[in-house]
Amino acid sequence: MIPTPFPDRPRFDARDMVLGRTRYAADRRLAGMLHAMTVPARIAKGTVTSLGAEAALRVPGVVRVLTPDDFPEPPPSAEDGPPPPPPTLTSTVSFRGEPIALVIAESLEAAIEGAEAMRPVYAEEPFQALMDGLEADREEAEPYVAGDAAAVMARAAVTVSETYESPTQHHNPIELMATVAEFRDGRLSVHECSQSVGLAKYAVFAALRIDPAVVDVRSPHVGGSFGQKGLAQRQTALIAQAALLTGRPVKLVMPRGQIFHVAAYRPRSRHRVELGATGEGSMIAARYDAIQEQSRQGFFPAAEYHEAPIRLYGIENYLGTGADIRLDRQAPGWMRAPHAQASCFAFESAVDELAWKLGQDPLAFRLANDAARDPRTGRPLSSRFMRECLEEGARRFGWKERVAQPGSMTAEDGTLIGWGVACGAYPSSMPPAIARLRVGADGRTRFAVSGHEMGQGIRTAIASVLIEELSIDPVGLEIVIADTTSVPQHMTAGSWGTAGCVPATMKAVERMRSAVAELVGGQRIAGNLHRQLAMVRRPSVEVEVSELAPGQKPEALEELKAGGIVAMGPEYPAFTSMSYGAHFVEVRVEPRTRRVRVPRVVSIADCGRVISPRTAASQVYGGVIWGIGASLRERTEVDPRFGGYLNSDIADYVVAVNADIEEIDVGLIDRPDLIANRAGLKGLGQVTMAGVSAAVANAVFHATGKRLRSLPMRIEDLL
Amino acid sequence: MLPDDDAHDALGPEMRDRCLAITRRDTLKGGTAGALALALAGAPAPAAGEPSAAAHPMPVNGERLPIRTSVNGRPVAAEIDTRTSLLDFLRERLDLTGTKKGCDHGQCGACTVHLDGQRVVSCLTLAAKAEGRAVVTIEGVSDGDTLHPMQQAFIDHDALQCGYCTPGQIMAAIACVREGHTGSRDEIREYMSGNICRCGAYVGIVAAIEDAAARMERI
Repeated sequence: MIPTPFPDRPRFDARDMVLGRTRYAADRRLAGMLHAMTVPARIAKGTVTSLGAEAALRVPGVVRVLTPDDFPEPPPSAEDGPPPPPPTLTSTVSFRGEPIALVIAESLEAAIEGAEAMRPVYAEEPFQALMDGLEADREEAEPYVAGDAAAVMARAAVTVSETYESPTQHHNPIELMATVAEFRDGRLSVHECSQSVGLAKYAVFAALRIDPAVVDVRSPHVGGSFGQKGLAQRQTALIAQAALLTGRPVKLVMPRGQIFHVAAYRPRSRHRVELGATGEGSMIAARYDAIQEQSRQGFFPAAEYHEAPIRLYGIENYLGTGADIRLDRQAPGWMRAPHAQASCFAFESAVDELAWKLGQDPLAFRLANDAARDPRTGRPLSSRFMRECLEEGARRFGWKERVAQPGSMTAEDGTLIGWGVACGAYPSSMPPAIARLRVGADGRTRFAVSGHEMGQGIRTAIASVLIEELSIDPVGLEIVIADTTSVPQHMTAGSWGTAGCVPATMKAVERMRSAVAELVGGQRIAGNLHRQLAMVRRPSVEVEVSELAPGQKPEALEELKAGGIVAMGPEYPAFTSMSYGAHFVEVRVEPRTRRVRVPRVVSIADCGRVISPRTAASQVYGGVIWGIGASLRERTEVDPRFGGYLNSDIADYVVAVNADIEEIDVGLIDRPDLIANRAGLKGLGQVTMAGVSAAVANAVFHATGKRLRSLPMRIEDLL
Repeated sequence: MLPDDDAHDALGPEMRDRCLAITRRDTLKGGTAGALALALAGAPAPAAGEPSAAAHPMPVNGERLPIRTSVNGRPVAAEIDTRTSLLDFLRERLDLTGTKKGCDHGQCGACTVHLDGQRVVSCLTLAAKAEGRAVVTIEGVSDGDTLHPMQQAFIDHDALQCGYCTPGQIMAAIACVREGHTGSRDEIREYMSGNICRCGAYVGIVAAIEDAAARMERI
């Protein structure tokens, strides 16, 4: 039975947001609070021989300067234990901007003045900030293999082989990384913007060597994150220690220029893609190598560039290799559509080049190369509606009016018009969950589950299920997420947020219904659950449920309780689960300035069953806009002379602004995938961006006849 | 402000000794700060939207300056560090945290407020410049629980995701309408480009402003 679609519903927390009442981490203002400012290293590699803190301590209002000596030795790392927490302050500098001291003061102005008064002395060492010239120093990743790509490629009638590049990029959510810590009544409370309060808690108790039981971390609202605040952050333990050592609450709001240097980022990557097809246009082989910049200790996996491309089409022979080039930079990490932004740009550009070489329409070529199963594992797909995305998108966009020859569609003033299409895919993953639901006779409902709200609408999705499927008063509904004092919290990332809470919500709803039915017995009581409980004189009913991913072992729940990251997917024991999308893009290139505009995008996504239509659509708008920004604007400039980043603010790191964005038409296929989970949903946040840059590049080629293989595509590339 | 010794037991012996050694020393040295903090602990919390400079006296450092201004229609008198931005004054002294810090460089627009009816980025506006002028923040836009048409339109068009840039977007959007820059979608986009929304809610923001502009004209 196909469930009925969920109705459109306003964002759960929108009212507080428009009133300015939503409290983010930096909005915590506690009595007697001190302000902190980090002191970043001004060298890329070497040793701090002297901190020069005397001048800082003379600044009126400066209370204390924390140094590496104020922190315990890092915990010993166990072979099979959790990864070590982030380092605290250091005198051994391994990248420019690494925090070497923390100034604590009575006011923000004094903290800034104190930090600027520091005069550290360094012993510098040689370093390497760029991967150019180091391509031979490959640290190989595990390859993705299907069939025999080398042998079959040799038989291909038509091939393309090109190299594509995606630059270093920074997340730049508008919220600055912020931590407020307070030690009171024997408890250390941390308020932080985080996608993983569990990891933030671990960072504090492991780095400071204190009892986990006294540490609480809360992150009820995050002002955008996109992966930046997923792993444990460097400043968390610093501010926690500052609160412990001073006995007063301490707040740090890290300046954006520093965030560029300590937060994660999308690593620059280079992609060599070779595709082979039969003369009729059937893709039969792919050989694809991806290298990326990597820090000395970093673990953002190079292998995963192949997760999406190997499953975009039914290419039976695929050899995907990958490698790290180690540099003296901070660790790269997961940034919206991690891997897939770069790999779908490369792969879907190459697919377009192959279609052009074969003389085939790029839409028809994609439809003809559909996949029936996962080429990597040979297992079935839980669901796949990429064809439906392409067909619906083509209909809305009016693709059939496209004239194939590049440069053939022009406006009256000579503006070049280009139409491009590209697809994207992203793993649909799922973590285990424990949820607790309490309904009271007083009209209140309290639901606690794992999750973090970064704007994707996780509370709205949870509320959608509770309000739609449980007879409760929506006004009395409280949703508790991102709180270590509540149920176990899993990291919310990788587009698994909804899968990590909505199936558990549905299970809790079922359990609650039967619990109340049992209480009420055979009586017929009019009204909602609150009224029914009141009639049988029961103050409240609470149920607790747990949910596992398909085929996941029950031990995963223990790992969840211990703070582990235990999401499954895209490869489950019995199937592979992917989300899909198709993007249709119109570009207009001004004939003289060569300025590229994107007046029109149609983007259709397959995320299984849509739980919250309004916030899901907003996710697609956001992904498309991120794709446009990555295509035409965003690149972090690494400084080869001194390390660090040259454009470390959002005037010089250019993201899409309102005037860059015109019409975007969003569609959701909304077909439940009941193999993937009981809710029938698949992930959405990342797939919305995957492939957008290829669609823009394909449209630019169609407009100009010029194939651009490096992001971002700027005016100078088209002159 | 001396933390009690028992409270530190849970931290383990090393951290306990480290904390207690320092807090004792610092408390002896810096008695003023401790007394201040104790006094603040008993201060009543201000009502939402109501500025409360009295709750957070200025800490001792920097050049001082007394200012008199009006915030959301209420008079405010305070002594400030001359370096204080209007943004930090609103957030850290008046507890009006609806106005957000996104860059502190005038690049993102998250801190947009109205100064004598004009939109300004409060991070590049010294608090001293508010002397004798009227400041309106997001907390002063609604009529009690009745939302301003722009606030309602932002909900109706889901013109927000994480909500962090939203107060600045709404303040800029209200000014955009008052300035008469809502003649076309392109004009709205141009005049709203000082406010970055990294989540990418621009389509909804433009639709919300078109919608609210029509309703604001009828008021």
